[in-house]
Amino acid sequence: MWVRWWILLIPPLIVGFTLVAASQFVFLRASFFEDLGLGRVGDELVIENYVQFLTDGFYLKILWVTVKTSALAALSTLILGFPVAYLIARMRSSWSMILLAGIVVSTFITIVIKVYGLIVIFSANGLFNQTMLAIGLFDKPFSVFGNETGVVIGLMHFTLGFGVLLLYSIIQTIPKSLESAAQIHGANRWRVYYRIIFPLSLPGVTAMLLMVFNMCMGAFTSAALLGGGLVFTLPVMIQRIVMMDIKYSMGATIAAVLLVSVIIINLLSIYLLRRLRAAHLVVV
Amino acid sequence: MFKSVKNAMAGIFITLFLSSSALAAGQFDGVTLLVGTWGGLWKDNQVENIVSKFEAEGGKVEFVTGSPAANFAKIVAARGQAPFDVVEILAAQVKDYHELDVLHPLDLSLIPNTEFLSESRYNEWLVGSWETQEVICYHKDKFAEEGIPVPTTYRDLVHPKLAGRIQFPDINSGGGLTGLAGVTFAEGGDETNIEPGLNLVKEMNVLKFWARGGETMAQFESGDIIASVVHAGWCLRTKKLAGQNVTTVHPRINDELVGVASEGWFGVMKNSKNAEAAQWYINQFISADYQLKMAIKTGLVPVNQSVFEAMAEDPLVAEMIVLDPEKVANQLRVDYSKVIIPDWTDQWNRAIAQ
Repeated sequence: MWVRWWILLIPPLIVGFTLVAASQFVFLRASFFEDLGLGRVGDELVIENYVQFLTDGFYLKILWVTVKTSALAALSTLILGFPVAYLIARMRSSWSMILLAGIVVSTFITIVIKVYGLIVIFSANGLFNQTMLAIGLFDKPFSVFGNETGVVIGLMHFTLGFGVLLLYSIIQTIPKSLESAAQIHGANRWRVYYRIIFPLSLPGVTAMLLMVFNMCMGAFTSAALLGGGLVFTLPVMIQRIVMMDIKYSMGATIAAVLLVSVIIINLLSIYLLRRLRAAHLVVV
Repeated sequence: MFKSVKNAMAGIFITLFLSSSALAAGQFDGVTLLVGTWGGLWKDNQVENIVSKFEAEGGKVEFVTGSPAANFAKIVAARGQAPFDVVEILAAQVKDYHELDVLHPLDLSLIPNTEFLSESRYNEWLVGSWETQEVICYHKDKFAEEGIPVPTTYRDLVHPKLAGRIQFPDINSGGGLTGLAGVTFAEGGDETNIEPGLNLVKEMNVLKFWARGGETMAQFESGDIIASVVHAGWCLRTKKLAGQNVTTVHPRINDELVGVASEGWFGVMKNSKNAEAAQWYINQFISADYQLKMAIKTGLVPVNQSVFEAMAEDPLVAEMIVLDPEKVANQLRVDYSKVIIPDWTDQWNRAIAQ
C-alpha cells in the first residue's frame, strides 16, 4: 500500500511557519513604516529606517563590532575546540564517552550561569587575577567587563561545547588509517595535521565556523552582561531600542539588517569554499 | 423528642456555618489583583506585608515582575491592555503614561493614607510610592588605604586611582536617567542639554554601567569596584547584607542643591476591572507600617512623612540617608516633562559605546 508520508510533515510545517516565519514577518514588516515612538508606527511604507541605519556611522560601527566579536569567538572556538575534539575522537578508552558526556552536559548549563561563572573567575578578587598578580604577570587585575575581549570570551564560552561536538563528528569521519599511512611514509605530526587532517576536515570546519558565528551574531546575554553597557552589539542595541526607547520600527530594522548580514556572510563563505574546492585546495 | 432535638441541632449548625461564612467573607472575595512591580526583595516585602492582608480579605495577588521600563513596554505591546491592574511608574515615565492615556482616575477617598504625603506626591492619576536619593557610594577602607580623597562632587570621581574601578547606572537601568541628570546639572547642563554630563561620564573611566542596582553589591564584594553612583538604598544593603564598609556622599550639584532625588509612583490601569482593590493596595503600600519596614530594609525614602522620626533611629539609615526635610527640599529633582527620553538615550548610546 502506498503511504503518503509527506502528510506527516504538514503539522510541523504549520507550527514552524506560525512560530518562526509569521511572527518574524509581522515584526520585520514594521521596519518599513515610520517610527512615531511609544510603539506607534506610521501608515505609509518608507525605507527611512534602513537609510538611517546604512548612513549612520554609529549603527555601522555596531554592525562591525558584532561581526568582529562573532568572528573572533568562532575562531577562538575552533582553536580551542579542535584539539579537544581530535583527542576525544581518537581516544580508544571509555574515557572518550565520559568526556563527550561531560561536554554535552556543559551545553545544558544556561548561559547566564556560565557568564556569572566567568565574572567570578575574572573578578579582581577572583582566581585568575589573584594568580596573575601573585606571579607578577599582571600589575593590575584584568576585567572581562566593558571590553570586546570580555565579550569574545563570553561568546566563546557559550559556543565551545557545541563547537567541540561538531568538530568531534567531523574528525570521526576521517579514517585514522590515513594518518598512520602518512606517518609510515615519514610525515611528522605537524605534516599529518597540515596535509591530511586539515584539508579533509575543512568543509566540516567551515560549517562549524559558520554555525558558531551565526549563534554569536544573535547572542544577547553574553554581550549584554559582559559588555557592561560599553560594548554594543546588534542584539544589545535591539533590546535597548525596543525596551527603552520603545521604537519598534527601528528595532525591527536592526533585526532585519542582522538577519540579512548573517545570510550574506554565510553565502559568501559557501562561495569561497566552493572556489577553494574548484582550485583543489580542499578535498571534496 | 429525639428527632426534634436532632432537627434543632442541625438548625444551629446550619446557622453557625452560614454566619461564620458571612464573617469570613472579605471585601475582595474572588478578586485576583495583578501588580506590576520589581522582583526580588522588593516583591518579597510586598508579599510579606501587603499580600497577606489582601488575602485575608478574600483576594489573591499575582505579580508581573520587571523594571518599570519593561512593564511599560508590555503595555505598549498589548496596545494599552495592560497585563496588570496596578503598576509602579518612574517619574520619567509619567509623561508617557499620560500620552498613551492608559491610567484610571483615582478616588483619593479610597486612599486615605495620602494625608501623610506631601501635596506634590499625589494627584488624581498617581500616588507617590517611594523616593530614592542618588549618591556616590564608596568603600571607606579602600579610599583611606590608597589615599583617595573622599568625593564631594561627581567630578571627584575623575581620579587616576579610580580609573576602571567605578560603576555608573546604565541609561537603561532604573537609576540611569536620574544618574545622568545628576552629572548633567552638576556640570552646568540641564534637561535640554546633557552634553556636559555625558562628557563627565566619559572622563570617569567607568568599569561598567550597571543594569540592576544589585550589581553594586556584587561588584563591591568581588573587589572590582570601590565606588558606585547608585541610590542610597543599594549602598545601605551593600553594608548590611554584603558586609562591605561603604558609605554615601550626597554630591554637591551647585551652590544651592546637594544630592539628587528620584521619585516612584503608583498608577491604576484604565483597563483594570479591580480598580477599587488596586487603590486599596496603594493605600497599604503608603501606610506608615509598610513604608517604615520598606525604608529600613531597602534604604528607600518613604513618601509617608509620619515615619521619618522612626527611620532616623536606625543608625545606618541615619548615616546614609538625608532625612532633614530642609535638606531633602534642596535635592535636585528633574523636571521630566522637559525631557525627551529617546533623545537622551540616543545621545547616551553614541557617547558611551566603545
